[in-house]
Amino acid sequence: MNRSLLYVFVLLVLSGLSFTASMLKAESSPTAKEQGMASQTRTTTQPNGEEVFRANCARCHMPPMSLSPRTTGTVVMHMRARARLSRQDEKLLLKYLAP
Amino acid sequence: MRIAQLRDELKNASYVSAIVMLSVVLSGRLTAQDMQSSENHAQYIPAISGGLGYIHNVNGGVTSLIPQINPVLLVPFGSHVLLESRTSFTGFFERRDLTSGPFTGKVFKSVDYAQVNWLAHTHIIATAGRYLLPFGLYSDRLGPLWIRNLQDTPITATIGTRTSGSGDGFMLRGVVVQKPSYSVQYTAYFSAHSNINQLQAARTAGGDVSIYLPRTRLEVGTSYQRFLQDHQINSVATYVSWQPSSVPLDIKAEGDYSYNGRGYWIESAYLFQQLPIPSIFRRTQIVGRMQQFFPTNGGGNTLPRVDTNRFDVGLNYYFRDDLRFISSYGRTFSSQGNANIWNVGFTYRFLFPLWPGRTK
Repeated sequence: MNRSLLYVFVLLVLSGLSFTASMLKAESSPTAKEQGMASQTRTTTQPNGEEVFRANCARCHMPPMSLSPRTTGTVVMHMRARARLSRQDEKLLLKYLAP
Repeated sequence: MRIAQLRDELKNASYVSAIVMLSVVLSGRLTAQDMQSSENHAQYIPAISGGLGYIHNVNGGVTSLIPQINPVLLVPFGSHVLLESRTSFTGFFERRDLTSGPFTGKVFKSVDYAQVNWLAHTHIIATAGRYLLPFGLYSDRLGPLWIRNLQDTPITATIGTRTSGSGDGFMLRGVVVQKPSYSVQYTAYFSAHSNINQLQAARTAGGDVSIYLPRTRLEVGTSYQRFLQDHQINSVATYVSWQPSSVPLDIKAEGDYSYNGRGYWIESAYLFQQLPIPSIFRRTQIVGRMQQFFPTNGGGNTLPRVDTNRFDVGLNYYFRDDLRFISSYGRTFSSQGNANIWNVGFTYRFLFPLWPGRTK
């Protein structure tokens, strides 16, 4: 029973990784049409840095009122690793916190 | 014997200090070159962060004085590699005869994590070294004393985090997929068995998967761990975290299952931010938590051996976002006896750069 659970878990992780690989492949070669659609979508539906900040920081703690640009890069790297943030979220946060 | 032990400890401490100093200097030199993004003014320089606090705890009539400091050293090497380490120094002082006599005790120190993260891209953050075992909501995310709404951890917090709360090995984490309406995050790790002083860990493997809905600010996740030494057991957690954007409410809940028992906790915190009261009182936060634990196979392994219920109510006041007064009252109910638990104190979050930044 325990061994079966382990196998199921390994299977899930492997499926996640293969899905990730396929996503990466798709990400690496966008067509011009896709690029156009993506930029259009970004302007209408993608969150801005403030939304990312409010939503993600408050998941665990009281968001800081201010952050010095000197330490912003380091802190955002730390939070990206802790909170499993995407590269896109990291960029938006940096732009918002240290424009 | 003690002198030889002391000499070894000093030697280890000097090696660690040398490595840290070298890392800071190397990282600072890199920073001085070209470590600033062209899209913003963020800088990547070594920093020291963390929390400190003092808790006055009364548990079943026994008073404990608990000062704590948990410095976190952050040393970036460019914008993709980060060395980070947290050490905890926790003082624990009680009266010699528990209820009478002078206070005596000692300071406990532990290395919670000392890891190198490679932030490869959105989907992969590779970690090597000593890391916090990512199981459920508490150990990895709500552990720091300046983050948690109630200072006492839930009864089930030790499920999935045996034996020291940390693992020595490697870990992969990242975002599987991110869309405007949802994102899926994962973590997978393997830890080796270690008996090294301050780096104790058990042989374990496990992972965590969660789905986050940014519009509703709702997160649902599950963690799994397989304990791979001595008596091999599985532990599973399922958790929910919700912070509605329209109300300053924070709701978290988790259910845990392991060979030694199962239990759950539900915690809710409300900040008086939107109430029509004088602004000075709007920094007050009220917290409530209830939990139940049911041992199986005799319990043990830091879990209660009898059915235990507990509720906690807390009142926190934020002087600033980094400094707060904390207080709570809780009561445990079990066949071994009921007890009142009081906590009063403060917590402070600090952050200092360790290297001069680039001037504009």
